[in-house]
Amino acid sequence: MYDKEELRSAFAELLEDAPCGIVVTDPDGRLQYVNETLSRWLNLPTNGEERPQRLPELMTGPGKLYYETHLAPMMRLQGFAREISCSMKVRNGSNLPVLLSGVARQDSEGNPVRFDYTIFDARERRLYEDQLRAARREADELAAIVRTSPNGILRVEEDGVILRWNAGAERLLGRSFEAVQGLRVQDEIRFEEDPDWFPRAVETCKSAPEAVFETVDGKGQHFEITVVPIREHEVGPKRNYSIVLRDISARKKAELSLKVAMNEMKHRIKNTLAVVAGMAKQTLPGEFRASFIGRLQAMSKAHDILTSEDHKSADLMELLTLTADEAGGAQRFRIKGITAMLPSEQVTSLSMALHELTTNALKYGALSEPEGYVEVTCEKIEDTGDLLRLVWQECKGPPVVTPTRRGFGSKMIDTILKFDLGGEVEVDYRSDGLRCVITFRV
Amino acid sequence: MIARNRVVTTGVADGRPLVFIHGFGCDQSMWRQVVPSLADDFRIVTYDLTGMGQSDLSAYDPERYADLQAHAQDLLDIIDELGLVQPVVVGHSIGATIALLAANQEPQKLSRLVLVSPTPCFLNDDAHGYHGGFSQEDLEELISFLDENHLGWSAQMAPMIAGQPAGAPAADELTKGFCRTDPAIAQHFGRVTFFADERSAFEKAACPSLILHCDDDALVPMQVAEWMRDRTPGATLKVLKATGHCPHMTVSSDVVAAIRDYLKAI
Repeated sequence: MYDKEELRSAFAELLEDAPCGIVVTDPDGRLQYVNETLSRWLNLPTNGEERPQRLPELMTGPGKLYYETHLAPMMRLQGFAREISCSMKVRNGSNLPVLLSGVARQDSEGNPVRFDYTIFDARERRLYEDQLRAARREADELAAIVRTSPNGILRVEEDGVILRWNAGAERLLGRSFEAVQGLRVQDEIRFEEDPDWFPRAVETCKSAPEAVFETVDGKGQHFEITVVPIREHEVGPKRNYSIVLRDISARKKAELSLKVAMNEMKHRIKNTLAVVAGMAKQTLPGEFRASFIGRLQAMSKAHDILTSEDHKSADLMELLTLTADEAGGAQRFRIKGITAMLPSEQVTSLSMALHELTTNALKYGALSEPEGYVEVTCEKIEDTGDLLRLVWQECKGPPVVTPTRRGFGSKMIDTILKFDLGGEVEVDYRSDGLRCVITFRV
Repeated sequence: MIARNRVVTTGVADGRPLVFIHGFGCDQSMWRQVVPSLADDFRIVTYDLTGMGQSDLSAYDPERYADLQAHAQDLLDIIDELGLVQPVVVGHSIGATIALLAANQEPQKLSRLVLVSPTPCFLNDDAHGYHGGFSQEDLEELISFLDENHLGWSAQMAPMIAGQPAGAPAADELTKGFCRTDPAIAQHFGRVTFFADERSAFEKAACPSLILHCDDDALVPMQVAEWMRDRTPGATLKVLKATGHCPHMTVSSDVVAAIRDYLKAI
């Protein structure tokens, strides 16, 4: 134990060099004592005249306001203040965040005579509190999104045990969180055709970042379900998963009615074309009849390709194969090169042009001879672009004569290729075989 | 109204009515050194501004109270409800501005104002040569600072008086009412208070007033006191020798004397 003298010097040291600032003021806030520690922290001038007179002068602007409006009244009325967070000014330095506590000393009549304050360095605490506040704000905002989402959002364990179930899930599935908490999700959300949907999704997640699938429940409600493992802050042996259920019944219904409408449309177009062909047979004289019906059929076939695909595009190779059938098979119509997907407008115009070329070749060109054939080469011109070149070369046909007048066929090739296909056409009546080069952008 | 704003009536029932309005950061308890000295001669009404002290916090609708006018309306409603005839209204700091706004709205309802440490505007307005004492940044920082104290706020209200001798008035009793503020409301009302610019209301004052200003007020510069003296119709400025922004707490007897003096003259 210390003796009295030792104790006195220990107290003096404790006060001056305490691990916190110590300040004594009169009830008006005039500084009566500032310990060595705080003087050092704030780099206060040693010269008495330059030293600040009142406690609020040690604080930053807002601290001063807070002192006068809150702290001073609080000290007088309740006699203490605890852990007030504020900043103090450091001479020639950046502000020091502190935590200030105070207690008022009163005389026997209860009048305040002295205010004692302790001031703690709160730099680390402030940093931590700032982070805490930011994290809390972020969590609040994210939680609000989950709370108000129309989708069902769940947190479950690896074996399907339900941990969380948002308001969206309550609305979508008609059951409160309390009713399903702790139960297994695959038992509570049942799909007749897919009873093991959850374990299967967990299995998928082992080799993929997420499992996404569509399914339908017993009441005909369609869902798109996304299952994703929650990897952050993993604790314990059981991995958690988030499940998002989106009601896609409306979308499914729209898709279905669109499909029905498409089929109906396809059916009607085919019917109309058949009726037109019938009318042509009845009305037109023999010589025109065949070529008109041939053209009609080419169009009808191109249409078939389009509707059998996704309605929006078709494969160039498929189109050329159709033409090969018309030309008399692969021996007489030799296809080389690459293929490409063409949008619907280009499919129709290109098939019409190919039909005209084929008809012409069958009548007057290479295909009118038993040994003759057509070689079609398709190549990409630029590596980067989608510029294609289709070369139609007739071989081993009769000698070619440049026509003296332009028939309907060649006019049509010109028009539809230039305007509908948006391409360039060059027809070269070379004596060893007609050559037609079509350049266009897909 | 009476319960919502915790209206307390003391003094003599047939005395001249005196209504007290506290400022930002505290509640009606800040008048406790003034009220007893006047209770023998006046009918005294104190209350907590909506959202402060022990008023009904749920009545604080931030949209309605985005403007000091709503607090002024509350004051007029309290005067009506108690049937006070031409009371003298004593307001501190922003409470003084609220009293002045109420007087401008219905001048016939109030007789006199006593404005304790008032300011029409805390913010500097260099373009008009007005020096309110604080820059935009200072005030923004104060608002964020009120948010910071959010975390420590519960400790403020803990019923504990460190270092006080046992047997002092029950700690619980003492701490309960003093300067209790909900942090979200404090931040909102702080913004309304410190960014208020009611200079034109002061210039149109409809009621005579006594302005009490501390010669060493840390928040309101002497220039502002002079601005009010020169521009507020019917205003008398009395400068008190006092430090700080709350003379009714530090030099309460001087404040009481000044109020008595002013009211004697009418």
